[in-house]
Amino acid sequence: MSVPPEVPDRAHPDRPAGPPRPGGSVPPPPSGQQPEAVAEAAEAARRDAANRIIDTSSGQDDGLNKCPSCGSSEIRYSLTEKALVCSYCRHTWNEENAEEAFGLDSSIADLRGHTMASGTADVREDLTTVTLKCQGCGAEVVINVDQDLQARCHWCRQTLSINSQIPNGAIPDAVLPFQLTREEAIERIDAFTAKRRAFAHHRFKEEYVPDNVMGVYIPYLVVDGNMHAVLQGTGEVTTRQYTVTRGSGDNKRTETYYDADVYGVQRAFDLLVDDLTIESAERFNAQDNAQATNNILNAVQPYDTENAVIYNSNYLKNFTSERRDLNVRDVDDDVEDHFLAIARAKAVPTINRYDRGVRWEREGVAVRGTRWVSVYVPVWLYSYADSATGDSLTHYIAVNGRTGTTMGSVPVSHPKIFAVSCAAGTVAAVVGAIVGLSQFLF
Amino acid sequence: MLPLLAELSADPATMTLLAGSDSGAGGIAIPFIAGPAVFAAVYGGIYRYYRNTDKRHHFERETEVSVGNLRSGDRKVGENNRQQDRAMRGRNSTDHLQRVHRIAVD
Ligand SMILES: [Zn+2]
Ligand SMILES: [Zn+2]
Repeated sequence: MSVPPEVPDRAHPDRPAGPPRPGGSVPPPPSGQQPEAVAEAAEAARRDAANRIIDTSSGQDDGLNKCPSCGSSEIRYSLTEKALVCSYCRHTWNEENAEEAFGLDSSIADLRGHTMASGTADVREDLTTVTLKCQGCGAEVVINVDQDLQARCHWCRQTLSINSQIPNGAIPDAVLPFQLTREEAIERIDAFTAKRRAFAHHRFKEEYVPDNVMGVYIPYLVVDGNMHAVLQGTGEVTTRQYTVTRGSGDNKRTETYYDADVYGVQRAFDLLVDDLTIESAERFNAQDNAQATNNILNAVQPYDTENAVIYNSNYLKNFTSERRDLNVRDVDDDVEDHFLAIARAKAVPTINRYDRGVRWEREGVAVRGTRWVSVYVPVWLYSYADSATGDSLTHYIAVNGRTGTTMGSVPVSHPKIFAVSCAAGTVAAVVGAIVGLSQFLF
Repeated sequence: MLPLLAELSADPATMTLLAGSDSGAGGIAIPFIAGPAVFAAVYGGIYRYYRNTDKRHHFERETEVSVGNLRSGDRKVGENNRQQDRAMRGRNSTDHLQRVHRIAVD
């Protein structure tokens, strides 16, 4: 699957959607031009036209993000209320469900081409500051959008927020707010490490401070896909099982043999994939565990992304959030691999008759339509960088901020494991020697 | 330590040990096989229990997916007789993450 370069659709709203151009007959390709090139261009144009953008911006201007009840800008997300709370009048509310509000829940079977929520637009690295005019007092306030999406006006002390979807990767289409409190997360992390003390590295045990647990919003691209998959390979069915006796006397032994029929196997089916999640910050790439144990973050999934709400910067207040730095086109090959893996998993129940297994040799998907949404998901994260060992691997213990699913990596003391394994190996060798000797003697 | 024991018993090396050896001739080799096998199983089991390097989200099973219009095309192409393995060679029907030759599909 290849997602076409970003979004010329918006740039040419007046371009006719369909063929043909007025005047009737299509002119023949100019001589000298490769017919393949023409075909490619036509194909690109077709895909291009099929690219659709769904605007998920809140419609609010940047600046004061006001309480709908009293107009105050002192708003924060409360974990006890599980809602935004106005510090002034105590009004509580949540933003609308993003899928419903933006029509992102329409039937996946109807998806054609690429539909992208506007929060998935290509990231611009050069955008580092945004200057806002405070509506309270008229002062100009610079927000360093590399780090913050809110700033307090120096003059009137009101909170100014970035509400528009500036394309720096920091503003998703939707946010999945934290459900689990920090205390609940620490409990789970404590329980996780308590079971893993005996062989933990002594420095980890000494330096373990559960208070360092941080609430982090991690950016994901959530993908729906409508596709047709084809798998081809070879399968075998056992037709006969028999034993053959060889040798005689003490050397007599029996061997089991299997006869099998060999089949060419093909499966073709349609797939509708709902809310496949892909890490969209490079540093959390689940396949790259060289710097940090990213597989741990990957393993606390799934998230109930269908419950994500419309982005509001107040959800992010008092939490850390990581910016998205991967674009749709950076991950689309990976997404296609995920689609293929799903197709292979879905084929399993259809090949039961091949009791000797199936060897898939060729596979492919035709992606009819996709829909992309960027979502922040909540994680309680304890990270421990073991710098003293030199490899400076960051170990994560992560708690899914919605479900409480916990997974982690605890650095081990290799000498301790070595000692215990040696002891166990020695015991096994001695027991083995006794068993072996007894067989030999009797 | 119970989860650790579970991990150990899932280890193929441990399984063969638990199953015992099958022939008298191999008896004398038991200590030389059992020692290293148990060492490796214990080492690997503890390491995995602490570091969880094998853990990931099983998206291919847990993502919500509907399947339709299944078409199967199976035909016998030959026989593979007198095989000593119970399973066919190169089977990958459960290795969903292993990619094979890509074909174009319309
Ligand atoms: Zn209020
Ligand atoms: Zn002001």
